[in-house]
Amino acid sequence: MGPFGAKGIAGTTHGGRYRMSCENLRDSYELYALGLLDGEEKREIDEHLARNCVDCQKHLKNALAVNALLLSQAPQVVPPSRLKRRVMASVGRERSGFAWIAALAAAAAVIVALWLGIQQRTTDRELAKVRLDLQQSTGERDRLEQALTFLNQPETRQVNFGLDKPLRGNFFLNPRLGVLLIASNLPALPAGKAYELWVIPKGGPPRPAGTFQADPQGTAMHILNGTVDSNVTLAVTVEPEAGSPAPTSDILFSAGF
Amino acid sequence: MLARLIPVSLAFALLQVALRFRDDADLARRLRERDAGAMRELYEHYGRLIYSLIQRMVRNSAAAEDLVQETFLRIWNRMPAFDQERGALGPWVLTVARNRAIDYLRSADGRMSAGALDLDRLEHPGQFCDIDNRALSLDRARMLKEAFEKLTPNQKTVIELAYFEGLSQTEMADRMQQPLGTIKTWVRSALKVLREQLTEAATV
Repeated sequence: MGPFGAKGIAGTTHGGRYRMSCENLRDSYELYALGLLDGEEKREIDEHLARNCVDCQKHLKNALAVNALLLSQAPQVVPPSRLKRRVMASVGRERSGFAWIAALAAAAAVIVALWLGIQQRTTDRELAKVRLDLQQSTGERDRLEQALTFLNQPETRQVNFGLDKPLRGNFFLNPRLGVLLIASNLPALPAGKAYELWVIPKGGPPRPAGTFQADPQGTAMHILNGTVDSNVTLAVTVEPEAGSPAPTSDILFSAGF
Repeated sequence: MLARLIPVSLAFALLQVALRFRDDADLARRLRERDAGAMRELYEHYGRLIYSLIQRMVRNSAAAEDLVQETFLRIWNRMPAFDQERGALGPWVLTVARNRAIDYLRSADGRMSAGALDLDRLEHPGQFCDIDNRALSLDRARMLKEAFEKLTPNQKTVIELAYFEGLSQTEMADRMQQPLGTIKTWVRSALKVLREQLTEAATV
């Protein structure tokens, strides 16, 4: 322990000048660290530190810790949020000031993209519906054209049924093209049921000739394509929607050629 | 039940303190690597503390914002000289902030830069090596508050004038219309109470 060690309480004289011990200076390090010490005490501490006095170093570190703790006790106030942006901008790590515009633009882009996505989906849905309608219309038109062709053929023969009843209509038979059925006032069917046309040859069992539904007004048009014997009986029954291989219910209406 | 809870809460508090210091060492390492995320984190840790300190000292919001920005810029620029293993980040940041406010106050009232060189030397990152990492712990802050309450009104005033107004003892004597010797006695006795309370608590 040198003359300036912590145990040197009284201080010493050196070159005719009184020198303070570290312990004499003990209460001055905080002010020294704050840069507020002047005069003899400051010169003394400067000299001690210049000689790498271990005790002085220790006192100074302790004083820096005490000072920081005292400084941390300032009444807390909340800084404005822009200050963080300023600080980050000053170290070149964030766009200052107008960063919010970029954020706003990004948010707007997301909203526009979402809106376009929704519009696209709506458009797709509408397009699909139109396509379906068009297919249905095209199917109807084709069926009507087929029916007209059927009716225009000279060998097509007609038999009507139920003339005095609400449920009535016509069978058209063309041995080369098949059968056309047009019926009115068909009763509404329960779900899962359909009308089924049968071709019954003379002396043979009924052959299934396709199922069909009536429109809400009770009107139906059904076409069986293919060659048909010219002396058959045609009949309609109510069957499960998928159709039956043989009739499972009473005949609703029929006609013989 | 309470007896079981206290040790758990104490352990949790100690764990939080330990984590914060581990975080500071990690934060310092990332700041030295010029990691922008670390700078943001530094602001989140110390921005409010620094703004509060500077605002208390300069009592001017616009100036305080400028000085906070200056503080962080200085920390960022001087980070390469900071020892991430042995340095105490919090005390350094607070000292730099306090010195920026002192510079401002001195230039504002014409006491221009009497100790500017000293301040620069005393805030060098190297000065903040081997300072106890718990310098700013909640426990120490609580002890300091308790000790401060024990001071006389005159002792409290001189501490406030030194730390938050940056007045030298001679300037305090002028301000308080007291002999310099009296001011010195108040300052020393006040600091002694505060220091001893913290030292005593640390050795218990």
